[in-house]
Amino acid sequence: MGQAAGLPKLLRKIKWEMDAFSWSQLLIVLGSFTAFLIVPLGLIVVRSFYSSSTGFSLYWLQSILTDPFYFPLRLKLVGQFPFITLEGIRGSLYEVVRYQTPTGPETIVILTGWDMGVIPNSLVVATFTTLLSTLLGFTLAFIFAKYKFPGSELLRVVSLIPLLSTPFVGAIGLKKMIVADGVLNVLFHDILHLLPFKIEVTGLPAVIMVQTLLFYPIVMLNAYTALISVDPTLEEQAINMGASGFKLFRTITLPLATPGVEAGALLVFILSLEDLGTPIVFKGTTAEKVLTFQIFNRIFTPAGLISQEATTLAMILLVISGLVFVGVRRYVSLRKYAMLGKGGAWRPRRRRLSPLTTILVYAFILGVLFFATLPHIGVTLLAFAKQWGPTLLPSSFTLDNFRAVLSDEEASRCIMNSLVYSSIATLLMVVLGVSAAYLVSRKKSLPGIEALDLLVTIPIAVPGIAVATGLFLTYLGTPLSPTISGAPLLIAAYTVRKIPFTVRSVYSGLEQTDKALDEVAWTVGASRTRTFFSIVMPMILLNVLAGGMLSFIYSMSEVSTGIVVGDANHRDAPMTWKMYDMLFHGLAGGTFQPAALGFLLMTLQFAFIVGANLLLRKRATALIGI
Amino acid sequence: MVSIRTVNLTKVFGSVVAVDHVSLEVGHGEFFTLLGPSGCGKTTFLRTIAGLEMADEGRIYFDDQDITDMPAHLRGTGMVFQNYALWPHMSVFDNIAYGLKIRKVPKDEIRRRVRDVLRLVKLEGLEDRSPHQLSGGQQQRVALARALVINPRVLLFDEPLSNLDAKLRIEMRAELRRIQRELGITAIYVTHDQEEAMSISDRIAVMNRGRIMQVGTPREIYKNPKNDFVARFIGQGTFMEGEVVSTNDVLEIRLGSGKIVKAVRSHPEVDLGVGDRALVMIRPEAFTLEPGEGYNEFDVRVYHVSFLGDSQMLQASNEVENFIIEVDPDLEVEVGQRLKVYAPPRHTLAIKI
Repeated sequence: MGQAAGLPKLLRKIKWEMDAFSWSQLLIVLGSFTAFLIVPLGLIVVRSFYSSSTGFSLYWLQSILTDPFYFPLRLKLVGQFPFITLEGIRGSLYEVVRYQTPTGPETIVILTGWDMGVIPNSLVVATFTTLLSTLLGFTLAFIFAKYKFPGSELLRVVSLIPLLSTPFVGAIGLKKMIVADGVLNVLFHDILHLLPFKIEVTGLPAVIMVQTLLFYPIVMLNAYTALISVDPTLEEQAINMGASGFKLFRTITLPLATPGVEAGALLVFILSLEDLGTPIVFKGTTAEKVLTFQIFNRIFTPAGLISQEATTLAMILLVISGLVFVGVRRYVSLRKYAMLGKGGAWRPRRRRLSPLTTILVYAFILGVLFFATLPHIGVTLLAFAKQWGPTLLPSSFTLDNFRAVLSDEEASRCIMNSLVYSSIATLLMVVLGVSAAYLVSRKKSLPGIEALDLLVTIPIAVPGIAVATGLFLTYLGTPLSPTISGAPLLIAAYTVRKIPFTVRSVYSGLEQTDKALDEVAWTVGASRTRTFFSIVMPMILLNVLAGGMLSFIYSMSEVSTGIVVGDANHRDAPMTWKMYDMLFHGLAGGTFQPAALGFLLMTLQFAFIVGANLLLRKRATALIGI
Repeated sequence: MVSIRTVNLTKVFGSVVAVDHVSLEVGHGEFFTLLGPSGCGKTTFLRTIAGLEMADEGRIYFDDQDITDMPAHLRGTGMVFQNYALWPHMSVFDNIAYGLKIRKVPKDEIRRRVRDVLRLVKLEGLEDRSPHQLSGGQQQRVALARALVINPRVLLFDEPLSNLDAKLRIEMRAELRRIQRELGITAIYVTHDQEEAMSISDRIAVMNRGRIMQVGTPREIYKNPKNDFVARFIGQGTFMEGEVVSTNDVLEIRLGSGKIVKAVRSHPEVDLGVGDRALVMIRPEAFTLEPGEGYNEFDVRVYHVSFLGDSQMLQASNEVENFIIEVDPDLEVEVGQRLKVYAPPRHTLAIKI
């Protein structure tokens, strides 16, 4: 077949595969993503280099990369040799503060971390978060996958708890734990006297700590799935040939599980990079000096327009996360061999532990779980606290925070806004997500269909604040402008950002139903459209529901676009903006009322995730949709 | 009832030519089987007829109507899949009635036709079961009923019996043939099981690597293979290679050992002349232990004896070639024993290689 025959054949193929219904599915997906993702992100790149007043210019990129505030790395020639120096690195790893109290002198060691400039800070935080999450997540996954001990199943589920909250919520809770007069110091210094001085974690180290505790379950889930998917006969074969202990682990188990762990780790890197909620909670410290916060902080010019500086920063953030995402896809697609085999029908090899080791394992896991659940315990206690000084627990409890939140007209309106926007967005995600998943799953032979797959998965790698910036750049001053109504852009942002959860759930449902079931319907006379509605949809209904629920709950907890839109238009702000607003502009109640809002959100999230998992029972990895 | 005709039908997957310029004709009411090893393109051919795959080249006709570019749901084919493909969210009744509902058949008539077809496939009374409550054989019958109830122009079977156990398979074979004959529908059947193909078909097309190797009745492809693929693929036989030395009355072929055997052309179209390389095939049942006028004679040593109840198969060798010989089950043979066996020239088939 020569090249000449290529085009007519391709056209015939397209005509064969695509009927009017498939075209409409394809066009609504492409249309929505073009309007609310591709064009906005494209505009970020364009506006980084172009403005109507100055024309094309590298001014902002140049000034950001030469400003030590953002980027202090310099290439210097010492003699003939190029050296990379950090110019303008500020602060120190920790500070020691001594002061007198009525009970005597006290010392606080404040872990602040160096400030290396905004761009390196973001990368360093993401790197540390990734390393620590991977270490923690993999260790736990290994213990749960390879050893058998009483209660292991329960502990495994409990260690996934951090998935049940957004960083925004968790950070509020953890902050109360790790400040100078926080719960940890009260416990370990004041009560147990285990520490000779108080430790306060703040700034970037605090961000790393919060993110690690929130993101390690992602690595853990990936690693656990990878470890139990390894055919035990592979290990048995190795043992049979004389490998054992650490050698077995290093040469067989680890390499087979590596692709899963890598995918999880790279995902954590991206999530850390794009997290805006945590830096906001630690506002006023070096935690501000990260890309997301700087973009958020500078997004509006005094005239209410979108600043070119923030746009350029968003472009830089976009490029970094784009590169990491390319890495994820390469690794994941090229190295699927861990999943080879018949799909976990076997019983994984699990060793029983001796009583002593069991105790050690328990101590380790409980220790991890103590820290991992701190944010949730913290936010829960705060939500019910009336007063909470430097003591272990609040001195008195109350429901007033909830009453205050629910009677606050603005807060109720924001909750209602969030519910309405998320519901509408969920409907859109179901329509678009089912369409995209159906095309990707059932029309694999169409050239270019992988591009559609990429389009609907890529939002995982697109930082929320970049989406927000792009949407403002595109729609400010149009009928969809957030200053007219916040609804269109928020719904659009939720839809494009959270659609991967629906798509993945629906796609896995489609892959589990035999294509012959569609085909036999065609042969008895059902058109493709009719087959889609009467055969395909009923069979994947549970996956659609579960995916929709996940997308709904992740929409409810969306931070970036929510608070940017909320700042521009308080009337149409969502619940996450209200939490942010209460934290920094609220009058009474301090963190109690935002914590109450956070607690409500967490409870809702818990209910939905449990619900989605009950729907999908056996498919445990559907747990969070990641 | 229609006739089916393909002209140069071709289907390519990437760099693999799954179906390679296949031209076939299946007559009105004929039971036609595509037989071949797995991966030979027989299922792809069937799916192209059903409209589930697009033909890359060539045309497909139902009678004189060109249906090459017609969407699957308008072709009026009834297809039975290897794994039955029953919709799990519908009852037996709903599975069967689906095609009728699409055709907007009145409710009463749907009920009557579903009942009739269930009687035809001997599944009366199971309307309300759901597919997972049925045995494999029952699921098979539901799949068949679903294909039949719409009065298809053509019945297509994609290895429908391969998931059933051996006994049920033989029973269902006869059932399928009975029903097809009763309704007089043109049928194309795909299988890799030659015994199944032989027992059920009016005609068989043997396929290999996307091409048709031979089309004929079961008797023809067994008795008169056109080429060495068909000869080796269908049934068992003793194969010897040699060179044609004379083409007088019968062919004379000099084997590798120097021995000359008398043979006939396996098929009228086989073109063999002096000097051509030839494959000589003798079916197991063609051997006798009694010499006859002009018979080929072989000295062999038995190295394996399989007693099959109604017959006895010997595997034997003369140092150069291996022999498969069917003998009377009552004959006492021992491993290691030397035997003289004979084959008449008319059952010693020469094939061009």
